[in-house]
Amino acid sequence: MFKENQPPAHQGEADTIIGPSVKLEGDFITEGNIIVDGIICGTVKTAKNLKVGHKSKIFANVTADNALVAGEIQGNVKIRGKLEMTSTAKIFGDVKTDILIIAPGAILCGKCQMGDGKSRSPKPESVKQGKIDLDTHEKNEEEENENEQKNKDKQSPKK
Amino acid sequence: MRMNKKIKTNRAQKNKSPMYYYIYDSFLNEKTYQTTLAKIETRLTDLGINGKINRLSFLKNIQQIIFEEAKRGVKTLVVVGNDKTLGQILNIVVDLDITIALIPIGKNNHIAQLLGIPEGEPACDILSSRIINHLDLGQINNYYFLSSLVIGSKQISLECDNGFWINLEGKNNLITIANLEKQEGISIDPTDGKLNIIVANQQKKWFKTRTIYSYFAAKKIWLDRRKPVSIFLSDEKKIVKSPASINILPKKIKMIVGKNRAF
Repeated sequence: MFKENQPPAHQGEADTIIGPSVKLEGDFITEGNIIVDGIICGTVKTAKNLKVGHKSKIFANVTADNALVAGEIQGNVKIRGKLEMTSTAKIFGDVKTDILIIAPGAILCGKCQMGDGKSRSPKPESVKQGKIDLDTHEKNEEEENENEQKNKDKQSPKK
Repeated sequence: MRMNKKIKTNRAQKNKSPMYYYIYDSFLNEKTYQTTLAKIETRLTDLGINGKINRLSFLKNIQQIIFEEAKRGVKTLVVVGNDKTLGQILNIVVDLDITIALIPIGKNNHIAQLLGIPEGEPACDILSSRIINHLDLGQINNYYFLSSLVIGSKQISLECDNGFWINLEGKNNLITIANLEKQEGISIDPTDGKLNIIVANQQKKWFKTRTIYSYFAAKKIWLDRRKPVSIFLSDEKKIVKSPASINILPKKIKMIVGKNRAF
């Protein structure tokens, strides 16, 4: 009468579910989706998605394809696709991801690198051809500023 | 010449046809099962798949009987009985090139349900349709199992694939290490080459009991504990003590399965 069983959540989606009563230690490497609601110490690597529940704690370097973090991660996080941090998420470590979504209230302490570094916008052709030298252009601007100041100084004693 | 040809063709047919050998469990000697057995035997004769029958008893050595029949060229061994009978036979035929079939009778037929084999007479039709699957077999120390193992104890540590440890904290944890099982919506495939570890944690709050599941897959599991833990083999209803090495033998046995199988 009072028995209320919770069906294994996302069983169809997840290949591994680490429940709140479980503490996992060591190098955990898998090819499938992972749902974490417990504690992990060591390394976590998956070729698919990772979901970190709000009560869970991971003391490990994490590598995954996509990740949804609501709990705490102490370690470096490397995500190939999208990393989503909810308002309860805490990451203490460096983050490397392609797309990053951070909800208000989330904590991220560490370096953050997004994209692969190759997606910088190309320089304009005038710069490439050497028509505009960015260094000399800056110097010219400085000279112009100095000249303006001198002119102002000259004008002020007349008054 | 014609006679020789006929004899040769008969031999060829015999070699091609799957020779059936039936093993009846000792509990089937009870009167209550006589009518069911009679119906099964009639149906098998109708389907043309009848064969030699051996009734088990305490005085017979099953291992010797099966080895002798395998030498004679038996291709299909039909176990007539329940999970326990199948578990006993599996431990003997592991290294033999024999297809195993099951005709479930009586209680404790959980494996038959998972394999999609109905109880009694309808099982003969499944046998005749011969859908053969190569199934994985679990091994714990020197015992083989098809379905699952159950461990219920406090603070257990399982070492998996020589890489990670599963430590269970708190009370009310029930561990099932399964090869073929269906539990609370989880159906485990015995052809994936992995053992599945299901941890059911019961949490009690006032009048409510909630079960939260954890789920892992591994090929090798090592269970070590200072105090010996009892491990229950679901197939044979047998208890094995720790320390225990548990691993999977992929595609180890050939079994006749039904269309309505769980995997």
